[in-house]
Amino acid sequence: MSYLKTRSLIATVALTFTSPLIAGDDPLHERHELMEGVGDAAKPIGQMLKGEQDFDAAVVMTSLKTFDEAAAQFGELFPPGSETGEGTEAAPAIWEDRAGFDKALATWSDAVDAAIAANPQTVEETKTVAGPVFNACKGCHDDYRIEDE
Amino acid sequence: MLISRLLRVLAVLFAVIMVAAWWMTRPQTIAATDLPDHQPDPAGGERVFWAGGCASCHASPVNGKRAKGDDKLLLGGGLELDTPYGVFRVPNISPHVDDGIGGWTSVDFVNAMQRGVSPDGRHYYPSFPYTSYARMPAEDVMDLKAFLDTLPPVSGRIEAHSLGFPWSVRRGIGAWKRRYLVEEPMTFGVSPTLVERGRLLVEGAGHCGECHTPRDRFGGMLRERWLAGAPNPEGKGRVPNITPGGENISEWSAADIAYYLESGFTPEFDTVGGSMVAVQENMAKLSAEDRAAIAAYLRALPVLD
Repeated sequence: MSYLKTRSLIATVALTFTSPLIAGDDPLHERHELMEGVGDAAKPIGQMLKGEQDFDAAVVMTSLKTFDEAAAQFGELFPPGSETGEGTEAAPAIWEDRAGFDKALATWSDAVDAAIAANPQTVEETKTVAGPVFNACKGCHDDYRIEDE
Repeated sequence: MLISRLLRVLAVLFAVIMVAAWWMTRPQTIAATDLPDHQPDPAGGERVFWAGGCASCHASPVNGKRAKGDDKLLLGGGLELDTPYGVFRVPNISPHVDDGIGGWTSVDFVNAMQRGVSPDGRHYYPSFPYTSYARMPAEDVMDLKAFLDTLPPVSGRIEAHSLGFPWSVRRGIGAWKRRYLVEEPMTFGVSPTLVERGRLLVEGAGHCGECHTPRDRFGGMLRERWLAGAPNPEGKGRVPNITPGGENISEWSAADIAYYLESGFTPEFDTVGGSMVAVQENMAKLSAEDRAAIAAYLRALPVLD
């Protein structure tokens, strides 16, 4: 075994055992938390659209800002080497078709930017701008997420 | 002397059994004169098309992926269903006269959809879910044909299925149908109008039971476990129980179910996944009343664990 190979093996083993312990160095964990936050932020908007919750433009904007922050970070949380582990639902397609994944992410990011710029003040306006945002969630999940078994 | 007589009796008996089996498994069809007096309406057929999700199987895959957008209207077939019985290849149902079903009459189409019999009098395998479509109003089936006729013809014939024995004996499907092809409702006492409208969609065109209901070892649905969840026919995992006793759906309101079918989002704001993605996209094209009817029907089902 060459020196380089040995070193990379040691590095891999070390990473495998230490990475879950270091919060800032664990893309699997971070992206999972980020995605949970996105889901939590989507919920009040959905409930307003369903009529289960009173409309509140400020809450909608807070959720949109959460999406915006997540969209900015998300792309960096799928580095090579983070394909599997921790029950991740990330599909191999993310790494096989990185350009497609980045494009899907940009679709979401653009839709969020447009929604923030529109600053919706009614349920109808929210429905109009949230449609492309939610469809982008679905579109990306459809191609780049595997189903849990 | 005695033995040769016995052999003769056995031979006759065998012949009688074979003829009886042949007779019992014959494809049974509806006559053109038995069709309702109905002027087919393509607009009504489009509703049936989305409710039934015809495109989910029949739209030709694009670069190995399922068709999206307008490609869902190119019904050239070609999708392969890899099942425990063998590989089923989905045929071309575009209105192409030679390769698709463009040359079919209304009664040809009704017999395919509701009796599982091809225009040349052969049984279809129940991978084509005619056991569900048998519960549709015949008028809806005729409307669907009128809608399909408006779509672009696609050329190209799809290869035959590759099935293992005994499933490769197509005639045997006749015996299978005697047991499993039933038009009666799967559920009873569902009189309110909205629930009945949902029943026709779920049990008929929507053919939800084909995946959500478990099957016996011959591939027939277990009526007593109607919509109570089943192993995923495409491999890993399970298709969920969607009766009010289902693990997740028990917490959902009828409005949640309708919203999920419209938007693809669960009440927890996760998105729809797996084979249900295509189904949900089709359901999104139905009217809000149709989705509400489906939700009302699902809520009215017996609670199964």
